[in-house]
Amino acid sequence: MTPEMDATQGFEGYARDERAPGVRNTVVVLPSVICSGVVAESIAERVPEATVTPHDHGCGQIGADKDQTRRTLRHVSENPNVAGVVVVGLGCETLDSEALAADLSVPVRQTAIQTAGGTDEAIEEGIAAAAELVPDAREGETKHEQFTLADLTLGVTVSDLADSTVETVNPAVGALVRRVVDAGGRVVVGGFESLAPHADSATALTVDAQTADALRGALERHPQQGRPTPLRRSAGERDPTDIALLWDHDPLVDVLAYGETATHDSGVAVVGSTGGFEETATALAASGAQIVVHGTADGVPTGHPVVPVLKLTGDPGTAAALADDIDIDASSAGTDDLVNAVLATADGAETAAERHGLTSFAVSRAGPSL
Amino acid sequence: MKGITIDEAAIVMAEADTVATALDDLEAGREFALSGYGFAVGEHTVALTEPVAFGHKFALEPIAEGDLIRKYDEVVGEATRDIEAGEWVHTHNVESTRARPGTDDGANADSEDGRTPTTEGER
Amino acid sequence: MTDSEVQRGPDDHSFRGYRRADGRVGVRNVVAVIPVSVTASAVAERLADDAVEWVRATPHQMPLDPPEGARDQIETVLEGIGANPNVAGALYVSLGTERIDADALADGVAATGKPVEALTIREAGGTAAALDAGAEAVERLTEEARDARREQADASELVVAMECGGSDATSGIAANPAVGNACDRLVAAGGTGVISETPEFIGAEHILADRCASEEVRERLLDAVDRRERMAGLMGVDFRGAQPSPGNQQGGLTTIEEKSLGAIAKGGTTPLRDVISYGYRLPLGGGFVVMDSPGYDVESVSGKVAGGAQVVVFTTGRGSTTGNPIAPVLKVTGNPNTYERMTDNMDVDASRVLSGESVDAVGAALYRHILRVAGGELTAAERHRMAEFAINDIPPKELAALGDPT
Repeated sequence: MTPEMDATQGFEGYARDERAPGVRNTVVVLPSVICSGVVAESIAERVPEATVTPHDHGCGQIGADKDQTRRTLRHVSENPNVAGVVVVGLGCETLDSEALAADLSVPVRQTAIQTAGGTDEAIEEGIAAAAELVPDAREGETKHEQFTLADLTLGVTVSDLADSTVETVNPAVGALVRRVVDAGGRVVVGGFESLAPHADSATALTVDAQTADALRGALERHPQQGRPTPLRRSAGERDPTDIALLWDHDPLVDVLAYGETATHDSGVAVVGSTGGFEETATALAASGAQIVVHGTADGVPTGHPVVPVLKLTGDPGTAAALADDIDIDASSAGTDDLVNAVLATADGAETAAERHGLTSFAVSRAGPSL
Repeated sequence: MKGITIDEAAIVMAEADTVATALDDLEAGREFALSGYGFAVGEHTVALTEPVAFGHKFALEPIAEGDLIRKYDEVVGEATRDIEAGEWVHTHNVESTRARPGTDDGANADSEDGRTPTTEGER
Repeated sequence: MTDSEVQRGPDDHSFRGYRRADGRVGVRNVVAVIPVSVTASAVAERLADDAVEWVRATPHQMPLDPPEGARDQIETVLEGIGANPNVAGALYVSLGTERIDADALADGVAATGKPVEALTIREAGGTAAALDAGAEAVERLTEEARDARREQADASELVVAMECGGSDATSGIAANPAVGNACDRLVAAGGTGVISETPEFIGAEHILADRCASEEVRERLLDAVDRRERMAGLMGVDFRGAQPSPGNQQGGLTTIEEKSLGAIAKGGTTPLRDVISYGYRLPLGGGFVVMDSPGYDVESVSGKVAGGAQVVVFTTGRGSTTGNPIAPVLKVTGNPNTYERMTDNMDVDASRVLSGESVDAVGAALYRHILRVAGGELTAAERHRMAEFAINDIPPKELAALGDPT
C-alpha cells in the first residue's frame, strides 16, 4: 500500500521560515466570505499550484462568532503546508479581507470584488496575485530537507464512537500517537464532543491543574449543552478511558479554542470542535497539524484542501464498501503500518482522499445566523 | 416613500422628517433653502457644518440630546447628544431605540400589539 | 439547450415557462444535484461541475445526524429545492449513513411528477465509483430534461422572492421602493411576492403589522420578529452589532430602524396575507407574504427558493454579487456609483429614482424585466455563474430555548 519507511528515516519536507516544515506546498485562495467563494474557486481553477477554501460564513457575523471564523481563517493560512495566500473578499462583509490579509505572517496578496469593480475583475486580479506567489512556492519545491516525526504535528480525530471505532481505531491511533510523542512530535486531538459528558474526568485526563481547569471550563461552556448530538450521547455511555485511548491516555497539555494555533512543545493537546469531520479537520489545520488521521465508521471520504487526511476505519463493512477511500483498515494494520503511512504521506505519497481529490472546507459557527 | 429632492443634492423622504439624505458628496458650507416644500421643520436655510458623504444624513433643524430622529415619517433613532442644524447625523450622535437586549419595545411599537413579552433567561 | 428562447406574450403579464407535471411553471430547466449532508457535498459539486451548464449543485454544511428539532427544517429545504418548478430533475446524493432519509426526500419530489434519482456513495463503492454512477444518473436526468419546452404562462404562476443585501441609504430611497412597486404589480396580476429577513423588520414591524390581512397573521408576524430578537439576546448577542453591518453603516444606514424602514419598502403596499416558516411551501396566487428567515442573505434566499420561488429580485447598495444555483437572481441597485463600477454584475439601475425618474416608471420597467427573466433572459449572476447556497441551521441552544421537546 505505501512504500516501506523506517521511522528513523523521516521524510522530505518543505522548510519554512519561522514555521514548522510543510508536507505540502500550496498557494491557498482564501475567500473571506461566502459571497467571494465562486470568485476564489475561479481563481484557483486557473492556477495549477493553488487550492481553495470556500466556506459559508463571513457575512452578518459578530462578536465571538466572527472572532472564531476570523482566527480560524488566519491560522489555516499560516499552516506549515501553505506557501502563500490570496485573500478574496467582497467589500461589505463584516470580516474585512484587507485587515485579514494584513494580519497574516505568510506571503499574502488580497483582492475584493467591490474594490476591483466586479467579479470578472476580481478573478483577473486574483489570478495575477496568485501568480506572484507561485514563484515563492516553486522555490519551496527545491527547499526539501530531511525531517523526522519530531517535526510533525499530527492531527487526530474520530467522528463517531461506534464499537468499531472505540475498540479498533482508538487503540490503533493511540499507538501511533505514542510513537509520535516518544519521537518528540506533537499531537492535537480534534473535537470535544466525546469529552463533553466527562467534565468531571478533566483532572484525570490532563497534565496539571491549570490544564484541568481549562478543559473543565471549555467543556462546561461547550455550546451544545442544551441538546446532545449523537456523538455526545454515545460518549456519555462510554468510559472516558476508552475515549482517551485515542491519544494513548497521554495527559493533555493544552486546551485550544476552535481556530487557535497550538503552542505546546511536545505531547498531546486537544482543540474544541462541535462539528463533524469537515469542521474538525479545519480546526486541526488551524492548530498547525500538517497531517490529519481520521477514524470513521461511516467512511466519510472527503479530504481537506490544506492538510492531507489519512482515513482509518475499524468497521469491516465500511472497509469493504469504501476500499478506495480508506487508507488503513485498523483491524488489520499494525503500528508500524500507521507510522509508515504517516511518514510516506509526509514525504509526498498521496492519501486516498488526495487521489480522488474531493475536499471540503467547513468552519464551525459560534453563534446563530442573524 | 416617494421623497422630495432638494437641489438634486439631497432628499427628504417625508414632510415630517427632521433629517435629509445626501445624494452626492456634500461639502461643508453647502446651503439648502427649505422654503416651498411644506416641511414640518420650517422654511429656513440649512448650511452644512461639515462634509456629508453620499447616502449619509444631516439635520434639518437643531435636535436635542434624547430627541427622536425622524425619517420616512417614522422614528429612526435617538440623539445621543445635541445636534445642530446642518450637522452630519450618524452612529456618532445617534443610537437605535431598538434591539437592546432585555429592554422593551422602543419608540415605534404599538403598546397594544399583543406581542409576547421578552422572557427572562436570555443572556 | 440554452435559455435563449426569450419571448413575451401578447399581454403585459405573460411569459413562457416550463410547465411541470404538477402544473407549476419553472423559469429555468435545471438538473439539481442535492447532497443530503456535508459529507456528500463535494461529490455533488464535482458531478455538477463535470456536467453540462444547466446541471447545478446545492452544497451545504448540514451534518450526518442533525438534532431532531433542526432536522425538519433541513429536510424541508432539501425536498423543497428538488420540488421547485425550476428543477427538471433531481439527484439526491448521500454518503449512506445520514439520519435524513435520502429516499424519502427523493420520493417526496418524485410525487410532483418529475424524474428523481438517489445516489449513495457507500452503495456505489466509494467516491470514484459514485462519481461514475452519478455522472450516468446526471446524464439520464439531463436527457429527460431536454424534452422540456417553454409554454404560455403568466405572472399569476410566479412566486417572486425579494431580498436586500449589502444595503446602503439608496436601498430604502430608490431600489426597494422600485421593487415594491413591481411587487404590487405582480400581486395585482395574481402572483405571489415574498420578502423575508425577519431581523430587518425590527423598527418597522408596526407598518407591516398594520397591513396584515388578519389578526392571526399579525400575531404570527410579530411573534416571528420577537423570536428573532430574543434569539440574539439568548445567544448573548447585541443585535446592534450586526444590524446595520459595517458596510451598511459606511453606506449611510445608522440604525436597524432606518434599515428596516427602507427594507420593507420592497414588499410594496398590498395586504400581508401569510407568514411562512423557513423553507416551507409558498402559496401560488398568494399575494404579498413573508417568510421567516435570518437576515443572512444566502440562507434567506435559499429558504425562499426551497419554498418554491422561481425568481429572486435582490436589491443592493454596496454591490452584492451573489446568485442561486436554481433560481435567477436579478440585482437592482439604487446607488449610481455601484451601478457604474460594477455594471457587469448588476441588472437594473434604480438610481434613476434619485435623479428624478418616478418610482412608478422604474417599478414598471423592473416588472417587465422580471417577466423577461422568467422567460429566459439571463441575469448578471447567471452570466457570471454566481451561485451561492446555504441552509439555515438552528443551533442547539436555540432549539432548547424554543422549547423543542425532543
